[in-house]
Amino acid sequence: MDPAEVEFLAEKEMVKIIPNFSLDKIYLIGGDLGPFNPGLPVEVPVWLALNLKQRQKCRIVPPEWMDTDKLEDIREQERKLDTFTPIPSLYYMELTKLLLNHAADNIPKADEIRTLVKDIWDTRVAKLRLSADSFISQQEAHAQLDNLTLMEINTTRSFLLDSLNYMYKLRSNLQPGRSQDY
Amino acid sequence: MPCERKPMRYGHSEGHTDVCFDDEGKCIVTCGSDGDVRIWESLDDDDPKSINVGEKVYSVALKNGKLVTAVSNNTVQIHTFPEGDPDGILTRFTTNANHVTFNSSGSRVAAGSSDFIVKIVDVVDSSQQKTLRGHDAPVLSVALDPSDEFLASSSCDGSVTVWSIESQTQVAQWKILQKSSDVSNAKSLCRLAWQPRSGKLLAVPVDLTIQLYDKKTWTHISTLSDDLITQVVNVVVWSPCGKFLAAGTVGGNLLIWDVEAKLCIERQKHEKGFTVCGMAWHPSGGRIAYTDTEGCLGLLEGVSSSSPSSSSTVQSTKATVAKEKKDYDDLFDEDDDRMLDEGMSDSRSPVKKPVMEEDDDDDDLMPATGRPRNRGSFLDDDDNSQDAASVKLDGVPEEDGSSAILPAVGPAVSRPVYEGPMPTQPQRAFQPGSTPMHLMHRFMVWNSVGIVRGYNDDQDNAIDVEFHDTAIHHAMHLTNTLGHTMADLSQEAVLLACEGTDELASKIQCLHFSCWDTHKDWIVDLPKGEDVRALCLGQGWAAVATSALMVRLFSIGGVQKEIFSLPGAVVCMAGHGEQLLIVYHRGTGFDGDQALGVQLLQLGIKRRQVMHGEPLPLSRKSYLAWMGFTAEGTPCCIDSEGVVRMLNRTMGNTWSPVCNTRDSCKSKSDHYWVVGVHENPQQLRCIPCKGSRFPPTLPRPAVAVLPFNLPYCQTTTEKGQMEEQYWRSMLFHNHYGFLSSSGYEIDSEGQSQAEKEQQELLMKMFALSCKLEREFRCVELAEMMTHSVVTLAIRYASRSRRMALAQRLSELALEKANQFQEEELEEEEPAYQRGSRQMSSRQAQVENGCEEEEEEDEDYPQEEEMDAEESTETRKPSLNPFKKGGKSPERPSPKPMSREGRVNPFKVSSAGKSSSSPAGQPRTTNVLDSMTMSSRKAAPLGGTSKQGKAPVLKPLAPKPKSKTQATLLQMSASKGNSKKLEDSQREAEKVKAAPAATPPASVENVENRKPKTGFQLWLEENRKSILADNPDFEEMDVIKEGMGRFRTLSAEERLNWTERAKGDSDPKKRKREDEGQINEQMESDEGSAKKKKPLDTSAKLSAFAFNKE
Repeated sequence: MDPAEVEFLAEKEMVKIIPNFSLDKIYLIGGDLGPFNPGLPVEVPVWLALNLKQRQKCRIVPPEWMDTDKLEDIREQERKLDTFTPIPSLYYMELTKLLLNHAADNIPKADEIRTLVKDIWDTRVAKLRLSADSFISQQEAHAQLDNLTLMEINTTRSFLLDSLNYMYKLRSNLQPGRSQDY
Repeated sequence: MPCERKPMRYGHSEGHTDVCFDDEGKCIVTCGSDGDVRIWESLDDDDPKSINVGEKVYSVALKNGKLVTAVSNNTVQIHTFPEGDPDGILTRFTTNANHVTFNSSGSRVAAGSSDFIVKIVDVVDSSQQKTLRGHDAPVLSVALDPSDEFLASSSCDGSVTVWSIESQTQVAQWKILQKSSDVSNAKSLCRLAWQPRSGKLLAVPVDLTIQLYDKKTWTHISTLSDDLITQVVNVVVWSPCGKFLAAGTVGGNLLIWDVEAKLCIERQKHEKGFTVCGMAWHPSGGRIAYTDTEGCLGLLEGVSSSSPSSSSTVQSTKATVAKEKKDYDDLFDEDDDRMLDEGMSDSRSPVKKPVMEEDDDDDDLMPATGRPRNRGSFLDDDDNSQDAASVKLDGVPEEDGSSAILPAVGPAVSRPVYEGPMPTQPQRAFQPGSTPMHLMHRFMVWNSVGIVRGYNDDQDNAIDVEFHDTAIHHAMHLTNTLGHTMADLSQEAVLLACEGTDELASKIQCLHFSCWDTHKDWIVDLPKGEDVRALCLGQGWAAVATSALMVRLFSIGGVQKEIFSLPGAVVCMAGHGEQLLIVYHRGTGFDGDQALGVQLLQLGIKRRQVMHGEPLPLSRKSYLAWMGFTAEGTPCCIDSEGVVRMLNRTMGNTWSPVCNTRDSCKSKSDHYWVVGVHENPQQLRCIPCKGSRFPPTLPRPAVAVLPFNLPYCQTTTEKGQMEEQYWRSMLFHNHYGFLSSSGYEIDSEGQSQAEKEQQELLMKMFALSCKLEREFRCVELAEMMTHSVVTLAIRYASRSRRMALAQRLSELALEKANQFQEEELEEEEPAYQRGSRQMSSRQAQVENGCEEEEEEDEDYPQEEEMDAEESTETRKPSLNPFKKGGKSPERPSPKPMSREGRVNPFKVSSAGKSSSSPAGQPRTTNVLDSMTMSSRKAAPLGGTSKQGKAPVLKPLAPKPKSKTQATLLQMSASKGNSKKLEDSQREAEKVKAAPAATPPASVENVENRKPKTGFQLWLEENRKSILADNPDFEEMDVIKEGMGRFRTLSAEERLNWTERAKGDSDPKKRKREDEGQINEQMESDEGSAKKKKPLDTSAKLSAFAFNKE
């Protein structure tokens, strides 16, 4: 799976916008959106929000968790615990990237938020690598990892699976009777 | 010199509070029943430091960086100051301490407790305790004398005792207080106070007076009192210099005496009249902090600057007496002074007596009048005072220049004898949707069109205009060189205005951005000395209210138009389309209420006043916070208590409360700042503000939507809910009537949807009442239904075996049918006549106001329509002034016919006929009986809609009784065909016959007929020719031949025949449509949308009935 595909999925998340145009309800396969009243917040999928934003047809209201205080708390929590903490949005990374890239002017303290989310991401990915490492080194058959987001799984999957495959190959090539250490 | 009373602010939750200053007087320290001690840098400190010391704090004392509190866990604790760290427990009681106090050096703390004990504890070494036992009731207050020799305590046992600390014995005791069982029952907190420094005098609040006792002799040497005191004195404090004594009373009075002169030099009243329960004098003596039982903190500024000689501004009668005496006293030796004082009190007694009696009377009355008032204020929102404070704060900065229009409260206070209702300060003029003017960054207006922000800081004085809908115009940035303070925004223009200065006149600036020429803006100077107070924009016009109590109208392009005077100072204005709404001060309000009047003007081609200055209802002790129109054009107002009221045009322009925004607030200090009201969909758009009344400009506030909720009773029950829904729906769809009457296009689909919803609700309520066996209520509900729904109700009733109810309902249905019939009759008349008839009916309606009300209850759509009619009639007099006059002679004759309620004009004549007719009253019951059984059968036929409609569509049956009977008959009839035929026959007759003279159709005849196909019709006509061609043909042959010939006809012809056949069986519909079209045309000619409606309505309702089944 491509990161772009994950991002595509993330674009289905709903976000609040304040439109500056007036439009009746629009009926889409995925569901009805609107009606759009100028100045009145309305929930739309991210893809539409970004599209409207690019056309300067709306302001995006940042999601509730996209707030420095809340993110700082999460970062602290993430650093404190060895396991993965629950994240307010399953697409936090994608949404942050999308919204900050396209609507940074609507999000207060955009730079801080970017840094914080990056920190959280780094912490989590580091944890993931660490656990993958110990998983392999301890030759466990299975492991349970909760609260991972799709993007995180995606970053490590191809590498992890490939390496496991290789190791399997290497191991099966080993002569029986030889020591299993490597 | 009178001191300045600062506005109160909210400090603690309601309940007992206490206050003190720190040693330097930098901070005010308060405690309250919320268990917090707050340290305020100043009264304006928005973020006081808060220390939680327990569940409840009863008393606080501060000295040498030690904060001592009496807490509800029966301890007296120490905290460090200003850090607020716990520093141990000083002492414990078996129950809570009521008062703690330091000695002058701060080395000892005295505490009096509800367990009758007074303890004196060394602050450093808490084991050094002295316990004073001897009171027989909870100790109210303790005071250590400056020399640390004595301690005075007051108790609920009615005594004030002075103890010798060293020997722990009583030195003196006076039984001067009222006894009570507990602190909570005590009338007064009876806070004692020793005179600082010398400690010569002990001040004891006794009832309405303050008694001073001498330390040497323990005798009562003088009494301080004032006429203003009508309730018990709660607290006394000495000024640090020992010259002045301040007292706070249960009634909220704050008084300061010059003790030597015994002159009351200051009289202030708590702004809400709450009980003052804590007072503290600033160490420098310049100010007094006080707290009340509602948790609010107040400050008196500039106190000690007032000297007795300069107290000329405030002098009670007694004070003058005292002063005169004093002058005489100067003749005598100093030593005699005291004696004379005593003598004076004697000599004064006759003078004083009447006053005292008055006081006594007051006292007797007080429980009846004063207390409830107090209690009422307890029930009030507890941040009332804060609200007021914020208003005040808003007002204060601008006070200087323009206080001319604000009669100050001061003069009223200076007349101490008067204790009646106090005039309220009239609220200032404001722009709806703006935040206070003194803010550097503020919203000048936020409405449904856009936002105008004003910036007025060091680097920039600018105005930002932003539109919600960028399609209207792009955002604008203007430099505010003129210093505009008011703004309004519409789809066409931005209107700005500033008040005048000494050199410059007040200016109005209009940026008419939708203008098609190159000059987009214009500026108008007001005459010298006239200031803009409020402004608004409508469609194509602008209005400005000025300080000269005038409203000036401008066209949007800058042409000056009408000017007119207002009866009072303007509060705010709002415009929508052609409507102008003005709120102004109708008079002086009392006791916190505002007296506002409202005018509503129509500024279209036909100018008129819809509301002529009726009083605007507001909640008690509140002021107007927002005023404007809903998006649909209904006036709407919101007061500071958060109650949203909307104009109900169908109830004679009354105001109905539709929402209380405070109900949705999580905390008491939260508010909703309204930016728009929409009726369809029902939305109250507002900005939630945490801890304030209005939002800051940054971060950009987000709009939230609140639902409306009419304050109906018992909305937890299904009945209440449905009633609320019904009336809400009624209220929020009034605008259809208004819009159509003022010639706007309306969303008829939405309207019929609304009507359907209303009727559905009525039916639900009906069903509910049926279930509860409330048959009378059922009938009442049925009266509100439209005719077709009543038929439905009848069926419901009969199916649930409530024959009596069904019977009554059928009578009701009859009446309703008559009404419809009348209307239909009117409709039948030639157009030229109809005009006059309509006119006259309206006229009649206007005349018979009460009857109209009756009608309203009964039949909503009709009523609405009547309203529409009425409004057309009254609102468009200029449309065709001659028409009305010309027709007026005709009026009297049709009047009884058209509007005499259910009295059918034809009824009299038809009564005879109906009696002669074979189908009389008895048959109706039969029909009903049979209907009960057959109703089930009838229902699936889908004939309901037909049935429902039938009576409506038969305008010509001259006998109402037989007609309804026919209706009922149809309902019972399972054969839809026969009904159709019957209709067709009637229709045929109708086409032929002159309106009133048509004899009733023979029902029996009709029922035997069958529907015909096009072929049959054709055959009938052509049978003869076939027979002529083939005389030997049998019937079968004729038909065969006929079929052959019919087939040879062109498709068009055949279609024609089929159409005819259809038309025959259901000709009414077609005709109806035609009629409808004609009618519509005529209406449009006449500028009235009246006739279209019943058609639409009935059609829609019949659809509804169909759905229901």
